Amino acid sequence: MTTFVFRNQTVEPFLGYDGMTYSGYGDISMVSADADRYIWFYQVPVNADSIQLAEEIDSYRGKLDLVLSQTGDQKPFIVFSLVNLFPLRVTGDQTALDEAIAAFNGHVAQLSRERRHIKWIDFSEFTLRYDAATLINWKYYLMSQTLLNPKLTHDFQTWWHRIEEELALKRKKCVVLDLDNTLWGGVLGEDGIDGIQLGGDYPGKAYSYWQRSLLQLAHDGVILAVCSKNNEADVMEAWDKNAAMVLKREHFSAVRINWQDKVTNMRELAAELNIGLDSMVFLDDNPIERELVKQLLPEVVVPDFPGKPYQLMSFFKELVEKYFRIYSVTDEDRSKTEQYQANARRQAEQSRFTDLEGYLYSLDMSLDIIPADEHNLPRIAQMTQKTNQFNLTTRRYQESEVRQRLDDGWRVYCMSVSDRFGDSGITGTIFLEPVDDLTVNIDTMLLSCRILGRGIEEAFIKTVFNLLRLDGFRKVQATYLPTAKNLQTADFYDRMGMTCVNIGNDGAKHYEMVLNDVFELKNYYNIRVL
Amino acid sequence: MNPMEEKVLEIMREVFGVEDVTIDASQKNCEQWDSLRHLALASELEDAFDLELEPEEIAEMTDFSRVIAMLESKL
Repeated sequence: MTTFVFRNQTVEPFLGYDGMTYSGYGDISMVSADADRYIWFYQVPVNADSIQLAEEIDSYRGKLDLVLSQTGDQKPFIVFSLVNLFPLRVTGDQTALDEAIAAFNGHVAQLSRERRHIKWIDFSEFTLRYDAATLINWKYYLMSQTLLNPKLTHDFQTWWHRIEEELALKRKKCVVLDLDNTLWGGVLGEDGIDGIQLGGDYPGKAYSYWQRSLLQLAHDGVILAVCSKNNEADVMEAWDKNAAMVLKREHFSAVRINWQDKVTNMRELAAELNIGLDSMVFLDDNPIERELVKQLLPEVVVPDFPGKPYQLMSFFKELVEKYFRIYSVTDEDRSKTEQYQANARRQAEQSRFTDLEGYLYSLDMSLDIIPADEHNLPRIAQMTQKTNQFNLTTRRYQESEVRQRLDDGWRVYCMSVSDRFGDSGITGTIFLEPVDDLTVNIDTMLLSCRILGRGIEEAFIKTVFNLLRLDGFRKVQATYLPTAKNLQTADFYDRMGMTCVNIGNDGAKHYEMVLNDVFELKNYYNIRVL
Repeated sequence: MNPMEEKVLEIMREVFGVEDVTIDASQKNCEQWDSLRHLALASELEDAFDLELEPEEIAEMTDFSRVIAMLESKL
């Protein structure tokens, strides 16, 4: 394969010599017709006059368009984005150059969406790894017009090799996933539906992100499938009942959950999905299974699986870049447009609201009030252990102690919060101890600090008050126990309309309230009692 | 040949992309030893021997023996 390179600087050391023909610096007068593909690798020249430089950058666009009009639509045309390797501003308001660079890059990105043979390479993906002093070596620049430091040659070639592979590779169509220690932490058969690591804090959190990422991949058109040695009924139950499960049965186009060998299962999956084995990526934490598939089905891509749950995020990025990144017009377009729209909406939001209420309304918050059950109980106990700031009594409970209190007739609720920008999960809880038929005592009331500042605490407790009233209770007691960290809650019950009946020597405040009327709740919360 | 000379030859072979580089190699008799690869050679030598070559020094290293002499004077 021969490549013709349009360039305005010395790039031979990086792109190499074999099969490469280079234009003169900034020269577009000769467009080789014999080349199998073209590369456009211009960079921002060094020039202290940024206005002049901006004009030069603007001229690249016209040059590129002119070249593109001569190279046709058949041969790949790869364009490096422009990066300002030597940002130099004499005054802070000289933005013309940055704008010119952004305009060029935007133009190319747009072209790459409209015309399939044009591939836009984000060169900053490479340059961002280095600091400014490393990117340019002035000695070599001044001797040879090599703008990029020759010391980065090897790194560049490694990166460029990967890009070339991406360009050549067809996108894979399907991810086949193992379950235990792959889609969640732990072993379902041993740890049980609620024992597997998923949701909550680390390591469960890592698997939640991982599942959400895979779900996004599915939304972008990649087929998800399961190949797992498990009891199918157990897995179906976990998909049904584990509230933290993001990926459920309906997200998988085909599943093989059995004790048959994975090679046979993979063959069956390929047949069922009507895709080739060479468009499948097999993910399994077990190196023996991976080796088996590698050996017997060499067409299948079998990446090493990360050993630690926290490595899943970078692993996902790598997967996407290696196997699922696609230059298709529609997909790229869609996701980009969505991102731009979301950003624009957020910005509009921030500027639109001068008052808190308007802002809260715009958040589209959902509060789910959920009675304690086996799924959320570990999280509830954990919150009592870890929450310090918005915690009225700071009483710490083990799971077994919470369970005991439930058996004793206590009501325990937790709250899950989400808004248009994301899901915060279970972030609050309240423990209600029955005193008599008409009276309950709030033993514990806490909220995770990441959801504070949106009036959620008030909505939460008032919803609980309304529930109690509906259930026939007429009186609520509560206590505030001061600690070094929970000062912000010192007057919480006062603000909620309760009456302080006693203040102890230790600063503990005791409250009471009669439940007469229904509490009205702000209409910017979408509250559901489950 | 001492280890440094062997190392330099090895670097030259890699930078020039040819196998038959000998101690007689010079910019005149080696086609691949052009000005761009000359700088690549300098850059590789700097890294391999952990030293800095000034532009004037780089310009002087026109054949194998001068490369060796330059490196020896710097080490």
